[in-house]
Amino acid sequence: MSLQFLADGLFAGALIGLGAVGLTLTYSILRFSNFTHGDFISWGAYLALGTVGALTGWIGPAARFMPFSFGWPLIVGGLLAMALTGLLALLLDAALFKPLRRTGHGIVMVIASFGASLALRAMLEFLFTSEPAYFSRAIQIAIPVGLGIRVTPDQAAMMGLALVVVIAMHLLLTRTHIGRSMRAVSENPALARVVGIDVAAVIRATWLIGGALACVSGIMLGLTVQIRPQMGFDLLLPLFAAAILGGIGSVWGAIIGGLIVGVAEAGAVQLIGSEYRSAVAFVLLIAMLLVRPRGLFGVREG
Amino acid sequence: MIDLLGYGAFFLVNALIFGVLCLGLNVQWGQTGLFNVGVAGFAAIGAYVSAILTTPDAADRIGGFGWPILAGWLAAMLVAGAAAALVGLATLRLRADYLAMTTFGIAVTIQVIALNATALTGGPFGIAFIPRPFSSLAETPIAFNAANLALTGFVVLGLFLILETLTRSPWGRVLRAIREDEAAAASLGKNVNFHRLQAFALGGAIMGLAGAMQAHFIGFIAPDNYLSILTFQVWAMLIVGGSGNNRGALIGAVIVWALWSLSSLAVGTFVAPAFQARAAALQIVAIGVALAAILLVRPRGLVGERATVSRDVEALAGESTSPHEPVRD
Amino acid sequence: MTGVPALVAHGIEAGYEPGLPIVKGASVTVGRGEIVVLLGPNGAGKSTLMKAIAGLVPIARGTVTLAGAEITQTAAHRMVRLGLAFVPQTENVFTTMSVEENLVLAGHVAPASVRAARLAAMLELFPDLARQRGLAAGRLSGGQRQMLAVARALMIEPHVLMLDEPSAGLSPKLVRDVFAKLVEIRASGVTILMVEQNARAALAIADRAYILADGRNRHEGSAAALAADPDIAEHYLGLGGADASVVGRSAP
Repeated sequence: MSLQFLADGLFAGALIGLGAVGLTLTYSILRFSNFTHGDFISWGAYLALGTVGALTGWIGPAARFMPFSFGWPLIVGGLLAMALTGLLALLLDAALFKPLRRTGHGIVMVIASFGASLALRAMLEFLFTSEPAYFSRAIQIAIPVGLGIRVTPDQAAMMGLALVVVIAMHLLLTRTHIGRSMRAVSENPALARVVGIDVAAVIRATWLIGGALACVSGIMLGLTVQIRPQMGFDLLLPLFAAAILGGIGSVWGAIIGGLIVGVAEAGAVQLIGSEYRSAVAFVLLIAMLLVRPRGLFGVREG
Repeated sequence: MIDLLGYGAFFLVNALIFGVLCLGLNVQWGQTGLFNVGVAGFAAIGAYVSAILTTPDAADRIGGFGWPILAGWLAAMLVAGAAAALVGLATLRLRADYLAMTTFGIAVTIQVIALNATALTGGPFGIAFIPRPFSSLAETPIAFNAANLALTGFVVLGLFLILETLTRSPWGRVLRAIREDEAAAASLGKNVNFHRLQAFALGGAIMGLAGAMQAHFIGFIAPDNYLSILTFQVWAMLIVGGSGNNRGALIGAVIVWALWSLSSLAVGTFVAPAFQARAAALQIVAIGVALAAILLVRPRGLVGERATVSRDVEALAGESTSPHEPVRD
Repeated sequence: MTGVPALVAHGIEAGYEPGLPIVKGASVTVGRGEIVVLLGPNGAGKSTLMKAIAGLVPIARGTVTLAGAEITQTAAHRMVRLGLAFVPQTENVFTTMSVEENLVLAGHVAPASVRAARLAAMLELFPDLARQRGLAAGRLSGGQRQMLAVARALMIEPHVLMLDEPSAGLSPKLVRDVFAKLVEIRASGVTILMVEQNARAALAIADRAYILADGRNRHEGSAAALAADPDIAEHYLGLGGADASVVGRSAP
């Protein structure tokens, strides 16, 4: 048996984990499971496609960073797209979730997010049709790295990026005031106000960061697979499974949960074929809820 | 004129079947406050179970037992209800969000099974030749549609009366008490989780019935019928009608299905074929925005719920804080 | 009590639901440097009044002034910047954060230049916390947690410190420790308003007290006078007459 599935699983898992970090943050601070998070991923990918297109249209084509398939436009455009996706999340909050926070129960926000998710996805289909799009059509040669495993340079770069992002998030949450404030609001919003934290500002920061992280997963997915309006929504179940597996609110938990889901999916593909891949996340989710609902690293249930 | 009447009957059968889905969701969400994002999954279970049991023997598929339609419907309710009970067992004791994720997951999983368990479900091509009620009348569409409307109307009326009776029964009052204030209901000595499980299974069974009714009326099913757009439509219907209200659930189903059909018709008639896919996408955006707007502006729906919450629980409800209380800013 | 009082709450009507006030027109004045205690039976509205002053419960009627400036309905997180600190009764520390993180988080409203000095001062004032500074606050004992909550509130160098039942759930020895610390804190110039069930211990360190019942002022006076009034002691303070060692109405 080739160990290639392990590498593929770890890569898919890093991608799922990055998405789940954003989901677990918004869940633990805003206290509802946000079904639009998958669509932030899709929007992030399309926004990056747009910014990269605009940059190369404005300055002209740029050289690739060999051996990768992308050059500096993707890096600059990606950063721009991260900001734009964060703004999109912020806008949606202002238009929909903020008024509902004032009046409704938490679960009404889940319904609203389900509706908004569909609208966001259909909007992408309206704008770009459901035909797949690509950042680059350059063919990547997979390089053998030993043990019979082959990895493309883009995949390696994305793994590195995922690691950098997670470490940055960890530092943000433990070393900066806004990060500590986010943890404080997540644990006890009333006490957070008592110690002088502006909860509204923390919520804004959470949407910005959650949106930006979703954009990163969208770019990773777009760079290594393809860009479709459905791409993020199809990732939603693995994201939920990863967030629950790791424990709501735990950044490292979300990443490890993502890696577990990714490897389990790749393993299932190896053993029973690719047809039932998307059911694997569901099985993991149910198993975790039955055995340990607070997750591997969670401090409380939800 | 005859054509129009025929179409009217056809439209109403479809709308009323959506009404059944809404009644099922209303038992879960409206009456008991249980969130289900997997409506499409439970409808699919009902549709496939009944189709597999009632279709004639087919060479390329397991199943084809040739059961009577009514037996297929009952089996659809049983299996969908049992599936709902299983999901409920795993998640009802947890936070409401987990139920949302799990029901979402089961809908995805059932979609995957329908798509890939070709030997059982026909795979992407689905199952055809599902027996249709009154198929002997199929030569004259108006008679066929009218007969089916009578049957569907009969089922909907019966279900409506049963659910109304249940709503007013002590059992229904306990459900609403749980929805309003779980802790208070528990303190009144009610087994909260068992009641919720019953409601969730009953709702799932009703959705299964609706799925089966739809499968038999159309005569053909495929995995694509059970995407999350179906769940979303049912939610929109219940929210327009006003959750907690059986009459509202049915009215909401007819209104939303009418709007949906009319806009589809308009897209088909006035939009050039090349742009139809895009126009259909815009149609979904519009209904998504409309749903969000209703949640914001008229959270109790257009019809709304009569105040039937028992007084003792209302009095208690003021003091406790719900575990699902959103964070305030 | 001379000059502008540190804190005045006048004619406060407040509650969680509109039209259902729990506090029905209560008034409290706290002079500079005083320790004032709010007493009264369960459900009298003491805690709600304090939370309303802190900006956590909406005020329907009445005004709150801090050192002469009106602060009614100021958002809770701004109250801290104005120098009004509040220690809730329960869940008053972030259990998933370390002792030091709790203090640093609270100290953020202070200018950057003084934060380190404040942290050092707090760790000096509470040596127990200094020894546990890296420990998650959820693993502290009840008494240490209460001390951390007080220290956290002091990080902003408040003009007025409000505490909701600081002795709740503590052993008599720890209650003495906490109250001794409060006296020490007052001596450093901080004005203190607190809600207490443990009336005897509270009156022993307080200058004045208010007795609330059904959301309204019922009695007020110096701590010594209230403690000495047998009628008040019996009806409101659960002291069972002037001799506090004998409990119950049937006491001789």
